[in-house]
Amino acid sequence: MRVLMITWEYPPHVVGGLGRHVFHLSKTLVAKGVDVKVLTFTDGSSAAEERIGGVEVVRVNPYCLRYPDFISWIHGLNMLMAERACSMGDFDIIHVHDWLSAPSSIALKHLTRKPLIATIHSTETGRRGELRNDYERHIHELEWLLSYEAWGVICCSNYMLREVSSNLGCPQEKIKVIPNGYEQSSLGPPAPLNRRSYAEDNEKIVLYVGRLVHEKGPHLLVEAASKLRRGDLKFLIVGEGSMKPYLVDLTKKLGVADKVYFLGHVSDAELSALYQWAWMAVFPSLYEPFGIVALEAMGAGAPVIVSAVGGLDEIVQDGQNGLKFLPGWSDSLAYNINRMMNNGALRERCIENARQTLGRYSWGMVADETIKIYNRILGEYVRGTWKPTF
Amino acid sequence: MRPIVHITWEYSPYVVGALSQELGRVLPPLAREIPLLLVVKGDMDGVSVVDGIRTYKVGQSVRTSPHVLIYSHVLNLDLVRGASNAVYESGGASLFHSHDWLSSIAGVYLASSFKIPLIVSVYSTEITRAHAISSLLNMGIYDVERHCFHRAEALLVANEDMRRHLTEHYGVDAGKVSVLKGTTRDLLGFYHRWVK
Repeated sequence: MRVLMITWEYPPHVVGGLGRHVFHLSKTLVAKGVDVKVLTFTDGSSAAEERIGGVEVVRVNPYCLRYPDFISWIHGLNMLMAERACSMGDFDIIHVHDWLSAPSSIALKHLTRKPLIATIHSTETGRRGELRNDYERHIHELEWLLSYEAWGVICCSNYMLREVSSNLGCPQEKIKVIPNGYEQSSLGPPAPLNRRSYAEDNEKIVLYVGRLVHEKGPHLLVEAASKLRRGDLKFLIVGEGSMKPYLVDLTKKLGVADKVYFLGHVSDAELSALYQWAWMAVFPSLYEPFGIVALEAMGAGAPVIVSAVGGLDEIVQDGQNGLKFLPGWSDSLAYNINRMMNNGALRERCIENARQTLGRYSWGMVADETIKIYNRILGEYVRGTWKPTF
Repeated sequence: MRPIVHITWEYSPYVVGALSQELGRVLPPLAREIPLLLVVKGDMDGVSVVDGIRTYKVGQSVRTSPHVLIYSHVLNLDLVRGASNAVYESGGASLFHSHDWLSSIAGVYLASSFKIPLIVSVYSTEITRAHAISSLLNMGIYDVERHCFHRAEALLVANEDMRRHLTEHYGVDAGKVSVLKGTTRDLLGFYHRWVK
């Protein structure tokens, strides 16, 4: 089985979780005997063609085209990727990830009459909350077109199944839920750092990891810090984003500037150390299609507190492998931080059960489920009449 | 002889500028001489015979685009859908012929995939329309035009001024630009140089 996988991000060009997802999925599919070629982007700093872990990676540089905005850039990249795909040899299935590679995949579907499978990781409506301008409406309509053109759609959680079904009008029978995978050793060993550079000896660390944007809810953690007023806690916030100046101001306004420490981007080794020191990790998202960071925290041995939203709500069972609070409500978050602080047995139980939870999210299982979808759709395609005529 | 597939964003009754009138004048008599298919934007997907030409109309999939460059990219996805159906239903094609940059992105996709030559008729360019490449939008359109012109096997223009313009401002090899007066006989003669 030959699969052409199209993605706008792939290592070393990683923007969010999408690039890492395609990296692990393609590598694991190849290990299971699937012939995978990845078509992706380069800015010229990575090879135009190379083989990584058995995966043939072909990269296209779009900077021969100037562009007035990001969406024009994406369309230019897709134009060049579709052209490049025409000289990459034959394939049986096109597998595309998100709207950012949708145009090239839809063009190739019609040009080659090969089945298209789309993984939709998130939607514009979910990310933004509403569609406020023509750029956001354009992306939304491209997402609709992708779900319409795809033979099958993959989502990472039941929450996303409902979102793709309701927001994009995609029939639920077309959608299959395959959770994301988690790789135990993804962060590597901790860096040899001094904990006292981050918190006092008597302070327990509450760790937040994520982009500082509204949908991730970092402001809820700052608000919870001000409501708790506990001298034995230190809040470490890892990540950057447009909300950072607001959050810094908020800590001053709420009188917790000495209790909240913004670390910005950190290396994997430093993050690994932070997870080891963390008394708990908090993920207060308002929108979260899956929530791979919660699995990373569980893998590093930190008990998690998550908002009961999206994929996080499906990963965590309250009081068993973590705690859940009401989305958007900092009082509820503060209550659960106290719960984790005051009940040692509960904390130990969450840590222990979280290790078992991770077993449900292996890349091997993701690849197996993906191959089942490939086989089902190829079977339907072979029995059907929509094929090249020459 | 396999059909020549014309790809255009406008053809009567969908009229935006002079292009639809020009094609309405040239293509019907041409279709009486050689097999010819037409792919054009329409209200919805469908196949019909218009002016004696088998016409593949494509509906607009994406309704909202912030500006013409983005609009053109998604319009061409629709044109690819119609043209691919035209080619597969005909068992192949001998040439793709697109008109201006607005339909030439699809022409480039089709030529790359089916390994069939692409001819582009150039009526105007971003430089002649905007008089200067002064904004990022102008630059974006100019770069897509240049890309399509270089990917085409041959370019057709109406006069020597346009041929000179393409060589001077787009770096196109003068040898691949043909000046045609635009009569059916001229176009037929040009096609016979490519298709036996």
